[in-house]
Amino acid sequence: MIELFGMEWPWLLWKLVQILLFVIVLLVGLAFLLLMDRKVWAAVQLRRGPNVVGPFGLLQSFADFLKFVFKELIIPAGSDKVLFILAPIITLVTAFGVWAVVPAAPGWVISNLNLGVLYILAISSLGVYGIIIGGWASNSKYPFLGALRSTAQMISYEVSIGFILITVLLLVGSLNLTEIVNAQAGGFWNWHALMLDFGDPKSLILFPVMFYMFVLFCISALAETNRPPFDLPEAESELVAGYQVEYSSTAYLLFMIGEYLNIVLMCAMLTVMFLGGWHAPLDVKLSFMPQIPPFFWFAGKVVFMFFLFAMVKAIVPRYRYDQLMRLGWKVFLPSSLVAIVIVSTYVMMFGRTAVGLAGGG
Amino acid sequence: MTDGLQFIAFSTVNSVSSGTQLSAPLSTQSAFLLEYLPVVMLFAIGLVISLAFLVMAKIFAPSSPDAEKISTYECGFNSFDDSRMKFDVRFYLVAILFIIFDIEVAFLFPWAVSIDKIGVYGWAVVMIFLFELAVGLAYAWKKGALDWE
Amino acid sequence: MFVEMLPAIAFYILAATAVGMAFMVIASRNPVHSVVFLIGTFLASAGLFVLMGAEFLALLLIMVYVGAVAVLFMFVVMMLDVDFVEMKQGFLQYLPIGGVVACILLAEMILVGAASLVNPGAGVKFAEDGTSNIEAIGNVLYTEYAFFFEAVGLILLLAMVGAIVLTLRKRDGVKTQNISEQIARTREGGVELVDIKPGEGIGS
Repeated sequence: MIELFGMEWPWLLWKLVQILLFVIVLLVGLAFLLLMDRKVWAAVQLRRGPNVVGPFGLLQSFADFLKFVFKELIIPAGSDKVLFILAPIITLVTAFGVWAVVPAAPGWVISNLNLGVLYILAISSLGVYGIIIGGWASNSKYPFLGALRSTAQMISYEVSIGFILITVLLLVGSLNLTEIVNAQAGGFWNWHALMLDFGDPKSLILFPVMFYMFVLFCISALAETNRPPFDLPEAESELVAGYQVEYSSTAYLLFMIGEYLNIVLMCAMLTVMFLGGWHAPLDVKLSFMPQIPPFFWFAGKVVFMFFLFAMVKAIVPRYRYDQLMRLGWKVFLPSSLVAIVIVSTYVMMFGRTAVGLAGGG
Repeated sequence: MTDGLQFIAFSTVNSVSSGTQLSAPLSTQSAFLLEYLPVVMLFAIGLVISLAFLVMAKIFAPSSPDAEKISTYECGFNSFDDSRMKFDVRFYLVAILFIIFDIEVAFLFPWAVSIDKIGVYGWAVVMIFLFELAVGLAYAWKKGALDWE
Repeated sequence: MFVEMLPAIAFYILAATAVGMAFMVIASRNPVHSVVFLIGTFLASAGLFVLMGAEFLALLLIMVYVGAVAVLFMFVVMMLDVDFVEMKQGFLQYLPIGGVVACILLAEMILVGAASLVNPGAGVKFAEDGTSNIEAIGNVLYTEYAFFFEAVGLILLLAMVGAIVLTLRKRDGVKTQNISEQIARTREGGVELVDIKPGEGIGS
């Protein structure tokens, strides 16, 4: 058998090991980010947060995991049993699948697809089915209403996310995430969020536009992932817990991991699209200083964005539904359209801003 | 397997991992398809993990359902009827508007990639397209389709 | 070669899934299950597109059809109060029309299949110079096919207007928030200072 398949088995096996490593790092990282979320939330409210399990409560997420596993898996009587179990699986599988194209460092990507951005948009749009099917299959009023709200909210903000991404793609000329990161090499003034290259005065026009797009993307990301202040689908005072009401045990856990994976993915997207990915803010090589590996820059930026998201969760009050829809359709959509016109006009007149690529697209 | 070594050794070379490190040279099509193999593998791993979690709960967790426990949650009283009901037509309208704008975004992706090759003509064509879109948006706005009541 | 065999294996799995799911769409009793199977069909077809090298088309299929159109189907199917027993009775009535459509589709497929047998090279071509297919599409869509592209824009505009005309119903007595009015409010317009004498109250 071995000689029949030649050299492919080691390659396949190695790829599998890489993917497993990636998944494990992602899951363990997620456990600590969850803890960080709670700690930040607690700190803002002058509480201590989880501090019992392990030193400083570091092992809290793992204890929570065990607790989920030992809880009874309840399937409601009136529910559609197959779809009820399928919904959390859809959520988690798509939340994992999206990560396939996110580059964490040079070459550290599971699959370097040409159309990475489109892939992320396509697969993350599948995530909505976990919610809508879960809400319907429960056959209960609160999950149903929560699923409806959630779906309408997610699709509204997906539109503006699409338009915002177009502005970045106009500047880079490629849908490959690795190329998008490399287009922002050299220093923070090449990052799409902070285009302050004073050596090239005409590109300063882009700074207000792209910074605005960055802010819009941050807010859209919050709305897209049902994070506070846009957590209307699970507004506990109105809908108990939204589409998750009937879920217990690991089925609920799958939803929660999926949700947090999506939040971290949005942080990673912000990092890759606007904050230069794994590139350091200043490209100085000092001989006496050890070089910080690119992965740590990437991880650091992701954690920073997550910190901001956690702060927003703790500080900002919840939106009302009509205000949410107004913001998405009447503010974000028109302004990202205008931004596309401005950026494309700039690209037509002066060419792309991408620095790391030879010859642009 | 230089591809793998990069993964471990914090390499800073801007090369890209791909399926080209195989023993035999591959055709363009196979190399292209091989990029999708890890994606399938990742999905498979995600599926295995989610199933494993569910099976874990089945094995370790107690299971003693009774009529009250598996009844639908509705703030303490029994639910009156089937909870799947008609709802506001506005949700359909949002979904339809979303489809339309999603298609428009999809049409802009190739443009963003090849804008520097198609010249002012291609740019102007898309500007007209965006104008049509803006007219639609303005109409929806004026009619109050974007208001939530 | 195992890796060289994979596309063939993947093709048979995906094709079988697509056909099986498509059958289940019409066979399943519950309309929500039908939509779920329909999504499965879309995903399998997207996989087939990838195998043909049309990755842009594949991802668009997922993004537009699965991510948007099927959501609308889901909305409609989930919330409609339709008596499905009654619908089943109308099945025979629509059978002739459905049969005609199916025959036309079958004939088209046979024609396409025969054409590829006669002229094997006419299928999907891979650009050997490394142009990805999104670039290839972009280079012609906005120049050579500019008028079709604008026509698409007009059709979408029409669809939007049509959807709004057909579904938008204004309800009476709805209070809405006017944000700009709310922000433009000043102290002069909003506050009235009244000098109240003790023991007289504010009744005027």
